[in-house]
Amino acid sequence: MLILCINTGWAQTTEVTGKVADANGLPIPNASVKEKGTKNGVSASSTGVFSIKVKNNATLVISAIGFETLEVAATANVSVTLTADIRGLSEVVVTGTGAATSKRKLAIAVESISADKLPAAPTASIDQALVGKIAGAQISSVNGNPGQPTNILLRGINTLRSGTFPMILLDGLEVKATDFNSLDVNSIERIEVIQGAAAATMYGAQGANGVIQLFSKKGRNGKLNIDISSSISQNSLLNVGDVHKAFNHSLVTDANNNVVNSAGVPLTFDPDLSHYANNVVWNSLDPTNSNVKQYNKNLQYYDHNKMFFQNAYTYNNSVSINGSRDRLDFNFTGSDTRQESIFKGNGKYSRSNFISNIGVEPIKNLKIRAVTQLVYTKSSLLDETGRTIIYALNNSRPFANYDYRSPDGNYGAYFGDAVGVNGYNPNYQNQYGHPDDQKIDIVQSFSANYKFLKFFEADVKYGINYQNQDITYRIDAQDNNLNADYWQYWLEYYSPRYSAGAPALATESGEINRQVYKTTFQNFLPSLTVRLDAEKDFGIKLPIKSTTYGAFDYRKNISTAFLAYGVDAPSFTPFTMSNMSTYKIVTDTKTPFVTYGYVVDQKFDYGELGGISGGFRTDYSSAFGRGSKPFTFPHFGAYLRVSSFNFWNGGSLGNIFPEFKLRSSYGKAGIQPGAFDRYITLNTNSMGDNVAFVFKTTNPNPDLSVEVSRETEIGADLVIKGFKGNWFSNFNLSGTYWDKQTDNAIWPTDAAPSTGTGSIIDNAFGLSANGLQISLNTSAYTSKNVKWNFTVNFSRQTSEITFVKDKPVVLISNAGSSGYVLEAGKKIGQLFGYFMLHAVDEINPATGDYYIPKANQGDFAVASNGWVVYSKPSDPNYKQPYVTPNQYSFGDPNPKFNMSFINEVNISSWIAIGMQWDWVYRSHLYNQTKEWMYRDGIHGDYDNQITINNETGAWTAFYRGVYAQVSRNGTKNYFYENAGFGRLRNLSLAVDLAKFVNVNGIRKIQLVFTGRNIATITNYTGMDPEISSGAYNSAWDRGVDHNSVPNIKSYQVGLNLGF
Amino acid sequence: MKKIFLIFIASSVAFASCKKQLDVKNPNEPTPEASTNEQGIVSLAQGGIYVNGFKDLKYGDGVFGLYWSGAMGFHEMLGDVIGAEAANSFENQIGCPDKVTLDNGTTVILNPNNPNKWYTFHRTVNQNDQQGSNFIFYEWAYSYNTIAAANKVLAILPEVSFSGNAATKLATMKAWCHFWKAYAYGRLGSIFYAGIINNDASGKTNGNYVTKEALIVESNAQYDLAVADLGAATSTADYNAVIGKLIPSFCQVGKGLPPTTAMWIRNISTLKARNILVNKTVASMTAGDWSSILGLTNAGLLAGDYIFTGRTTSTGDFLPASGATVSSRVQSSAPGGGGFKLSERWVQDFKAGDLRYTNNVKTGSTWIGNSDRGNAFNTRFTLWNGGNGVAGTYVYANTAPGAFELPLTGTYEENALMKAEALINQSQIDPGLALIDAVRTYMGAGLAPVSGTGLTLAQAKEELRRERRIALAFRGLSFYDARRLKISEPVSLGGGRTGCIVIPTTGVVNTNATIEYGYLDYWDVPDNELAYNPAAAGSAPTKNPKQ
Repeated sequence: MLILCINTGWAQTTEVTGKVADANGLPIPNASVKEKGTKNGVSASSTGVFSIKVKNNATLVISAIGFETLEVAATANVSVTLTADIRGLSEVVVTGTGAATSKRKLAIAVESISADKLPAAPTASIDQALVGKIAGAQISSVNGNPGQPTNILLRGINTLRSGTFPMILLDGLEVKATDFNSLDVNSIERIEVIQGAAAATMYGAQGANGVIQLFSKKGRNGKLNIDISSSISQNSLLNVGDVHKAFNHSLVTDANNNVVNSAGVPLTFDPDLSHYANNVVWNSLDPTNSNVKQYNKNLQYYDHNKMFFQNAYTYNNSVSINGSRDRLDFNFTGSDTRQESIFKGNGKYSRSNFISNIGVEPIKNLKIRAVTQLVYTKSSLLDETGRTIIYALNNSRPFANYDYRSPDGNYGAYFGDAVGVNGYNPNYQNQYGHPDDQKIDIVQSFSANYKFLKFFEADVKYGINYQNQDITYRIDAQDNNLNADYWQYWLEYYSPRYSAGAPALATESGEINRQVYKTTFQNFLPSLTVRLDAEKDFGIKLPIKSTTYGAFDYRKNISTAFLAYGVDAPSFTPFTMSNMSTYKIVTDTKTPFVTYGYVVDQKFDYGELGGISGGFRTDYSSAFGRGSKPFTFPHFGAYLRVSSFNFWNGGSLGNIFPEFKLRSSYGKAGIQPGAFDRYITLNTNSMGDNVAFVFKTTNPNPDLSVEVSRETEIGADLVIKGFKGNWFSNFNLSGTYWDKQTDNAIWPTDAAPSTGTGSIIDNAFGLSANGLQISLNTSAYTSKNVKWNFTVNFSRQTSEITFVKDKPVVLISNAGSSGYVLEAGKKIGQLFGYFMLHAVDEINPATGDYYIPKANQGDFAVASNGWVVYSKPSDPNYKQPYVTPNQYSFGDPNPKFNMSFINEVNISSWIAIGMQWDWVYRSHLYNQTKEWMYRDGIHGDYDNQITINNETGAWTAFYRGVYAQVSRNGTKNYFYENAGFGRLRNLSLAVDLAKFVNVNGIRKIQLVFTGRNIATITNYTGMDPEISSGAYNSAWDRGVDHNSVPNIKSYQVGLNLGF
Repeated sequence: MKKIFLIFIASSVAFASCKKQLDVKNPNEPTPEASTNEQGIVSLAQGGIYVNGFKDLKYGDGVFGLYWSGAMGFHEMLGDVIGAEAANSFENQIGCPDKVTLDNGTTVILNPNNPNKWYTFHRTVNQNDQQGSNFIFYEWAYSYNTIAAANKVLAILPEVSFSGNAATKLATMKAWCHFWKAYAYGRLGSIFYAGIINNDASGKTNGNYVTKEALIVESNAQYDLAVADLGAATSTADYNAVIGKLIPSFCQVGKGLPPTTAMWIRNISTLKARNILVNKTVASMTAGDWSSILGLTNAGLLAGDYIFTGRTTSTGDFLPASGATVSSRVQSSAPGGGGFKLSERWVQDFKAGDLRYTNNVKTGSTWIGNSDRGNAFNTRFTLWNGGNGVAGTYVYANTAPGAFELPLTGTYEENALMKAEALINQSQIDPGLALIDAVRTYMGAGLAPVSGTGLTLAQAKEELRRERRIALAFRGLSFYDARRLKISEPVSLGGGRTGCIVIPTTGVVNTNATIEYGYLDYWDVPDNELAYNPAAAGSAPTKNPKQ
């Protein structure tokens, strides 16, 4: 294991050279080599070689991630072999523990990942890189447009109203103002994730959704290091289900196959007005109408996807300079990412980050650190989510040539009802709309840490996090656009309009919108840790160590929003909002929020065998009912390292299972109500020269409580010695089962309309959740030249509603159209709607009755596609599907489980291959995209022939009937699809050419080829099974695909240089 | 070292003592106390009616969520003045007749929806789990918003000290509250089979559902309270000071100037006449009913009276400039272009030569909607936006901010036509026809007088039917007429309409089609209410017994 070659030759100071390698003799690049007890240190080169000047008789501390740390005497020429840390427990974590604690002495599950394990996602954002990496978590990339956030669900659903997003900490302080995906992945050293209340209880009234803590990169010991990385990626939209428009049509035509209007006259395109003046005639429910006519006469087929989608490019660049000297360490990183929209003409998105991390030790044991992250984000994306573009295209019949410009050079907005009443031309929006969205973020933290009197460690942290987002949205005058004028269809933003197709009046003469959002968040966190050792400090012959942690945690957030618009621009240019004939301030609000609390945690460890801990946090908050009442969140934990007992350690068990730890913990944590949920106020409404007072539709509640989640987790960590030889030399298994309850989830409960009130915010729901997370890591193959590391992450979780104070709540997705129900005894976020059947005698399990009364069953039959249809030719509904008159829950759209399979292969120290597969099993999506495309006969399914009553054809009565029966666009199980999938998330090949280019000062010349989302296996018929169109991180709105932008498939080439 | 420790301790204590910081208040919105002074209560009385009563509701989307275009639009759909293709909130089904028989007498087009009978449709949709898609929720909820707001204002009023002639100001405020409550109860009782009388200011309700007739009685009682209050508003200056603030400044144009107490009392008289007229079929009106109407309309609005109106503003304070009224959602460049489609049956009711037709009805190429959405709403017509340039003739739609005057309550036209109807039915045909002529003159119809032309009773009634249909269109009154003339009823109940112009999907203009609408005369109580406020023992039936 350890080979030391000792040479003689002592001096006052001596230069020590050496080499660090693993058990197979492969060099360990970038290993840290430190002189013990000093700040003096260097990093080994990419070939594991180091050189350091040290005092005589010094000891070197040599460490590297993934290896056990080793101390050796500093001799002239050192060759060190580090042992792989197969137990993975050497790591020290701080999240959720109060005082920094070795993983082997934890009662809670903490997932951690170092930055070098994160893939190079084209977005250069941390959230995208984390997808699949955290056992137990469901992190999904739900929209592929640039700048869009991910959905993060750690452990279960704790709240209905406040979403699933966890707390984000950076170096110990909360980051609340800055978006998670704005933080630069290049600046992060490692990430710790604690997932539920049992661990996050340290964070009290805001920790129930878990915590993701990021640690900034610090200056490395030794010489100045410069790292440069550049990458370019080509991105294209996924279309896994081959979503396309029907190639045929079923519109009424004349004898020459010209599509005609109701008068029998072929439709013509008006070149001046850029539209079809007449509507098509589509006898959609006529049972003889089959979708088999070709677009080969007066109307031609255009592929709107080709017309509007493009291969987009993303450019990422990053430079990092770091080093340390004496009592100073520093790291400066500058990064820049530029992304194009996947839609032609939809604009660009860019983000630049500058990070500085400076640590000083002015006097012994006092460490002061300042970390600054400045972020500048700029977006000219006209459609931020891309959803309105996809919706517009998916609701346009394919014969619209949206690239057409009228003789005066303008795009038309609306091509007439013939093209589809919900379609419009995105080129029109692009012509007239000009957004400019600029965001500045400052994430600044200061910390001072002082160890004194042997026992004490005082730590003071202060962080300020500021965001200023300034959006100007200019819309050019459109009053010369004949098409828009004809259809009264103007691009507008804020001007008060209640329906599309209704005129926005002055808007046609131009509009300016200005939105300014500012958030200032402060976190002040002084803490004191007292560490006592019974043996060392008191001479008691018991290996008991005590750690006491106490902290005060103060957080204050102030956000302001200012929104104004002006319409009807003057004839001159340039102009400002003050030149507009009408202008109005829509919003001018300030939202303050204050919370503070005390944390006390006491922990006792008994040698290496086990330990117990317990404590509480008491929080005050400006959002709690009546203001002054605090909430207290207790926590307890215990762990037992069974493998440390003699019977185990010394025996055969210890040989097979070198590490076996049991752990359990319990805790409560909360989610805060909204800032003003407890304050009874009146709304205001400007009324000419007066301001009218208005009663609120949703009424606040002065007695509102924090939503409290109680969680118990039980887990085990097990190391299994593997086989002798190259294959599977060890296994690292870690598993946690958790169970939690939320008793008082907040929801605006409906009031009887005759009270004059819409709803009242109340602690109205009980929730329950449980789950299992397992992580298995193995050295799958290890030889002199090849190292293959394989990790499997597994997560299974389910959340349900245990109690509803009033009636079940029916909701419409934030995306529109699709219905959900929140009902006691049901899983959270079930789609709710009408049933189509697979058998005429299908029985309603709720009532035990036939859906179709026995006497009527003869009127129906099962079509060749498996759905029950009206089968009597005399029936006006002939060939249409049967749809139940009542609505029911469809089931849990959330996945039964999700897994990730992560492979890392290193060959000869200069080739690295990474591959990650993600598997989401039996999740469901409501394919609302498809339902809309069924409306006007647009979806490709219309080309599919089916047989009803021995008649075979592409029967429009069936497809249109699916959309129209009982409730048009109503939520129907036909569109509720299994959206489980397997996805090749990441495939990368990195080649380090440094060893072939022997230039002094160059550590690394690494070429990286990465493919992301390059293969997907699924039965889902939409573009991408991973997307969700609900509100981001919604607790209940997670199962709808309503024209969201699918994820992108990307191929990336990167170059990383190290000097 | 010690310093740091002390800083740590001191700062903890300092922050801990800042419990006061926790009461952050809501710095953006006034507390209810802001409404306890004169200015505040006037602001609340204004917002409570114009915003809570007509604009802000828990549900609603851009297509149907507003009172004056949505809830009133549904009346116009059932009255066959407009049609709709969009399926939001089942909008396309609301005005879809059960059956249309074309000119040939054999081609029958059934309602293509499922369910395809209006009664069934109504009950399928009237479920709490349909939430905002239940179209009958809107008129109910807006009306109770108005009532609740007025109740709360009435409860606050005793706490408010008014300047000047406080008694007059208080009386004016009370009159305002009782008037709008009366209006809301009148609307409720004229469309729902049962309802709740809720005069509780505490935000509670009760489960004692009363009949529609009792709602009308309550409406009239509230009107009477308003009249009494107006009688107590003796100081004209102080009355004007309050009413001039209650009515939004931008509405105080044209007929919308603040009414005098006498004009307001006349408005109430008109509305009380409406309460009687629209809630009985014409056939069941008694001589007593006609004389009541005659009495009320004699005391009703005069041509020069100021009334309560709504005006749009470019900033959409009360009514957004577009889409806020039924007619603004009809007007379009070409037939079918607006959200609401103009009905052929409405256009056919214009008399030849009517300048209101010339000035408002725009003809274009036939618009054919989605074939499975309805079978009667295809049309050759739409409304001109801002009129077609005929000076002095009424304009139905104008989306220029502030240009369109939307009557919110009673009008001279309505009063005159109710009076005409009472006269005609009391065999005073010519005096009745003279009023029809007066209304036509008032609106600039340019039609030759019909009084003195020797029309029979039946002809006079037809003249009246057409005039009411044209003059009062787009104001949420059309369904009342269809109901009391039994046009909207199933044929089995004596309903239906013959001689209709109907354009089926084929585009062929049928001129003698028969339409069986099959609409329910009074809607059941919305399930959105019953789910949270079930009927108490002894309540009136909450469901219309018609099946």
